Amino acid sequence: MTIRRVNRIDELAQNLPPARDLWPAISAAIEAERANAPAQPAYRRSRWLPAAGMAAAVALVTLGVFIGRIIAPPQMTVASTPTSQGSPDVIPAALRDANYRKQRESLLVEVQNRLEKMPVAERDKVKASLATLRRSIGEIEAALGHDPANALLQELLVSSCQEEMRALTAVRDAGSQET
Amino acid sequence: MTNTDTVVDFDVALIERARKGDSRAFERLYRDHVGRVHGLCLRMTRNPDLAADCAQDAFIKAWKALPRFEARSSFSTWLHRIAVNTVLEKRRGPSNAEMAVEDPTEYAEAVLSFDTPVEEEELEAAIQSLPQGARDALVLCGVYGYEHSEAASMLGIAVGTCKAQLHRARGLLRDRLERGVR
Repeated sequence: MTIRRVNRIDELAQNLPPARDLWPAISAAIEAERANAPAQPAYRRSRWLPAAGMAAAVALVTLGVFIGRIIAPPQMTVASTPTSQGSPDVIPAALRDANYRKQRESLLVEVQNRLEKMPVAERDKVKASLATLRRSIGEIEAALGHDPANALLQELLVSSCQEEMRALTAVRDAGSQET
Repeated sequence: MTNTDTVVDFDVALIERARKGDSRAFERLYRDHVGRVHGLCLRMTRNPDLAADCAQDAFIKAWKALPRFEARSSFSTWLHRIAVNTVLEKRRGPSNAEMAVEDPTEYAEAVLSFDTPVEEEELEAAIQSLPQGARDALVLCGVYGYEHSEAASMLGIAVGTCKAQLHRARGLLRDRLERGVR
């Protein structure tokens, strides 16, 4: 048994789990409260959005500066796509489809070509926006790696991949309409 | 007051779900936060059974209050505030009597460092031996890193009192560590 020593008081562990799992009692209290509640309160739309969605929104707004005046809304034939880094075990089935992967790869090539023709400032802006989207996707995949069955994370992943596809399609279409 | 950005980001999505009544999302929040909430309760109560009860009650209160949760503070801070309130309620009595403060600004330093490393167990025992008010301030400001204003608000005391309690705690802690074990 090792004795841990600390030099500062803030080095003490903050995380001290209880000896017993408290969730069963908490869950029971929640269910009891639900049973006593007269009716489910109506859903209040919150100002909060999922973080990945926020990141995607920021990235898309930035992209919009570049493409907003040029193009009509792109035709979305692709619903979603997986990223290249994620483990297949944690990627929702909808994102493992070979067609989606192929379309995304093709789109990436087109976007890369388009980026090379852009002025440096615009290219950097678009690249930064896409990087933000990919970072969000990477974080969700990492979390899914720890909790593959989490439906919420799966939804977030699908949603973020959809945002990435929209952004890629918009960049590509902007290029085709400009030239 | 966040563990990691990723945890915080996913808290937002989980909170949204929990606010809609998804108890599975709330269970995830519980799993992510129970260690710190319980640690706080344990250090404030010094009693494992009471600390577990306080942590449990805090999460039940949090579930009920979730529709009123706003983004003004982090979820973790909000939960800790509820936990501290729960502990204070269970103590049933005046726990944080106001102390006379000569010049609160001189007591602002929350971090307590030691000339030589201290065994964690020894330090925890020394913290547990502190008087209640001093211990509360030390746990919130020293261990959990809250600002005096946040800690004072949680404890329902003046900022100056919090600073004075922390100052007192630091002195007592050093004294007990030197006298008791070293």
